[in-house]
Amino acid sequence: MAIIVSEPTASKGPKDAKRHRDKQREAIKKRLPEILSDESIITRKKGKLVRIPIKAIDIPHFRPERKSSGSSGRGRAGNEPGEDMLETEVDIEELIELMLEDLGLPRLEEKNVRTLAVELGWELKGTQKTGPWVLLDKRRTTNKGIERFWSYLRGLMATTGKDEMACYRALHETQGIFKDALELLENGTVSDQSQEMTPFPVVESQDLRYHKLEKSVEFQSQAVIIAMMDVSGSMDDIKKYLARSSLFWLVEFLRRLYKRVEVRFITHHVTASAVDEDAFFRTVESGGTMCASAFALANSMVESDYPPAEWNIYAWLFSDGDDFEPEATVQEMKKLMSKANMVGYGEIRPDEHRSGEADYESLLWTELKEKFSIAAYEDPKSLSSLEGGERFPFLGVKIRKREDILPALKIFLKKDRWQK
Amino acid sequence: MNSEELRRLKEIDLRVQEIAKEEGLLVREVLFEIVPAQRVLEGQAYWFPTNFSHWSFGRDYEKQRTLYEHTGQGIPYEQVWDFDPPRAFLVETNPFVLNVMVLAHVYGHVDFFSGSKYRQRFRSVMDVAEEARQAAKRFAEYEERFGKEEVENLIDSAMSIMWHQHPDPFHEEEEEEVARERIFALERAKLERDKSVQSEFAQPISKEEITKREKRLAMLAVATPPEPVYDLLYYIANHSGRIRRPWQKDVLLTIRNQVRALAPNRRIKMLNEGWATYWHVRIMRRLFAEGLLSAKEHEIYNIYHSGVAAQAHNNFNVYRTGLALYEYVEERWNKGQFGPEYEQSEDPYKRLHWDTGAMKGREKIFEMRTSWSDRMAVEALFTDDFIHEQGLYSYTQDEDPKTGKLVWVVEDDDPKKIRDMLKDTFATYQIPIIFVQNGNARSQHELLLGHTPTGFKLDPEYRNKTLEKLYHLWGKTVSVRTVEKGKYVIFSYDGKEHKPSNSK
Repeated sequence: MAIIVSEPTASKGPKDAKRHRDKQREAIKKRLPEILSDESIITRKKGKLVRIPIKAIDIPHFRPERKSSGSSGRGRAGNEPGEDMLETEVDIEELIELMLEDLGLPRLEEKNVRTLAVELGWELKGTQKTGPWVLLDKRRTTNKGIERFWSYLRGLMATTGKDEMACYRALHETQGIFKDALELLENGTVSDQSQEMTPFPVVESQDLRYHKLEKSVEFQSQAVIIAMMDVSGSMDDIKKYLARSSLFWLVEFLRRLYKRVEVRFITHHVTASAVDEDAFFRTVESGGTMCASAFALANSMVESDYPPAEWNIYAWLFSDGDDFEPEATVQEMKKLMSKANMVGYGEIRPDEHRSGEADYESLLWTELKEKFSIAAYEDPKSLSSLEGGERFPFLGVKIRKREDILPALKIFLKKDRWQK
Repeated sequence: MNSEELRRLKEIDLRVQEIAKEEGLLVREVLFEIVPAQRVLEGQAYWFPTNFSHWSFGRDYEKQRTLYEHTGQGIPYEQVWDFDPPRAFLVETNPFVLNVMVLAHVYGHVDFFSGSKYRQRFRSVMDVAEEARQAAKRFAEYEERFGKEEVENLIDSAMSIMWHQHPDPFHEEEEEEVARERIFALERAKLERDKSVQSEFAQPISKEEITKREKRLAMLAVATPPEPVYDLLYYIANHSGRIRRPWQKDVLLTIRNQVRALAPNRRIKMLNEGWATYWHVRIMRRLFAEGLLSAKEHEIYNIYHSGVAAQAHNNFNVYRTGLALYEYVEERWNKGQFGPEYEQSEDPYKRLHWDTGAMKGREKIFEMRTSWSDRMAVEALFTDDFIHEQGLYSYTQDEDPKTGKLVWVVEDDDPKKIRDMLKDTFATYQIPIIFVQNGNARSQHELLLGHTPTGFKLDPEYRNKTLEKLYHLWGKTVSVRTVEKGKYVIFSYDGKEHKPSNSK
């Protein structure tokens, strides 16, 4: 027969393909800062897949240099394949997971998540040797009984030296009572005539197994994020874009951390107002800047809706820092810090030079540095940041450009902060 | 595939064998296995029906699978192994008529396997596949014993230089000492002869020349390798200070042997695939004519056949061009369009209507299948006419000024350039010629490779990364000497940094 239908064989492809995907993930991880600042990820409606072009992972080998592409700038010679770019689809969840590896948020979770114990009733959990008859675990008990059947059978065979079938007949006749079966065998008075062996459970009291009942408790956690943004005249498109991207990822992170996350949005110029998500990112307003107004509104929100005993509270303000009344802002922030897990401040300054050159500091930054900061970092290689102590869970970061978003998130969400 | 289809397929199989015999093909009984698509996809990605685990195979598998599942392209339509008896896969979920096409195609390959003189020099594919199956078991055991990462790193490194083998695919590597003795004896004899020339036409060589050549002989006694070795993995497996344990050597040599068994295929790829396509077209035509397949099935067949023979602008479709070549040759030789008289005729009208009724077409194409290689075919048969007819040009993508879309435009259509390009490709397959020049460089047991320039520079990024892989295999500084801007340049990697340095 020349045509046969083949038996399925073990498949290797999927396993090795997974190893390749792991390698791709590493490649994606390297490009995270770039991917994170891609606006299309944020603007897309809830569909959770992101398309990311990455280089095909290749085994290096000696090969001819690629001709630089032609005058058109994207030329591609017919006999020479261009750089192999693969578009891979990644879930936002997966992206965040990749970032989490970097951020080590799980530790933050252990330390900072306050939990609410909710009793859900009773549930079956494991087995035990004693219990009420109704909770008898029939399956496990039978299993034990079958084990005993075999051990009795072997026991009879060993003691009497008779074959398996003879011993089975004796055991069958006495319905599993070892002593009686042994007696029958020794006297040679077995009357059972079974032709076939059908193992049956022999259950003694120590073979009984019962279901164990336990109270079922679930630990729930909830958090509220108060996202505040300056929409005064000085906040142009770039500034708002930076604020919006940073907030998007912060919210996504915390959504993974807590079962329930509420996000409240506040925009402010001289006065603050609570708005919905859509308006938050779109509002174009003008006028002066009073950051205190936003914090005041946040404080009243917390007071009325989010008791700190039940809620983890995170608040972020993104502004360019040209605050008219920094002292008042500091006062309101202090109040909020007494209840919140953390208060963050992202200062958006795309036009400011790197520190080291003569740059001026915003009024708010100067004030915060003076009042809260126990440590100020001005490392020219990373972002300028301010860190509050245990009394003031405060973090301030300066964001100057797109690529700063991931480093800023890392500072806001560093795992071992405020441990002692 | 249901039982009725299976019955029909068996019936058609018998008929195809009869047709193939009538047409003069060498027919062997083929064992067709009906398998899930995944088996075929794996066979394509893993080189053999079963092979060791590696992420690069997984990558290729997934690429094929994605193409297959999401775009309907890359249908795993053909896979045949030159075993005894030959074995081929049919995909259970493929349309019936596609499986018939594959079946007919496979008989074309089977004839090629038996008929090609070139293929007869191959190692038995069955043996090589069996070795791959054994290797899969051994490598899994190595992973268990020495760690997954350790094994993977070694495979990665070995694969990065695996294509660098002797330019003659059937060359057998000699033991180093055997080679040394042979070269030494040869050089010695030459020197002796030159020293004692007694002829009025030649002078005995000078004293300086003698000392120079004796010195060279002395060097030859210790040099490793005594002459350039092109089989990099073979040399490294036997001489590296890093590859000491038997399993490491096994990994290197297994990969080397697999590639060695596969490499010769490339030289006849176009002729082989073209041949199978040529025959499936003819066999299918007869099956339709005989009513063994329906008109409805003809429609489906047309779709798949045109997919196989589709023109691609960014690569060379061996099925399409191979098929066209056989048909072109058959027609010309049938009409007697060959020989000095035809070649020298400059009258286009006469050439076009040239028909001596020679009917030598079949004979000619069978001759091609028996003793030609792809490169020969390009040289002898890729005429200007053929190249223009087939649109075998170099294409590039550019923006259409009107629509703003990317479109393919012809970059070069000069038949001479196209021929040269193809000849080049069929000679080296874009694999740079690299050899071991010195395995004891600077007397420090460093590895020095040589690169014979064939018209291009080594890609710098890939070159450096490959040197890193070589370092992993060698354990000491590795260098490659190449030519850039007319000068020798040596690029080395010492485990920490990359250094270019000019050399003499």
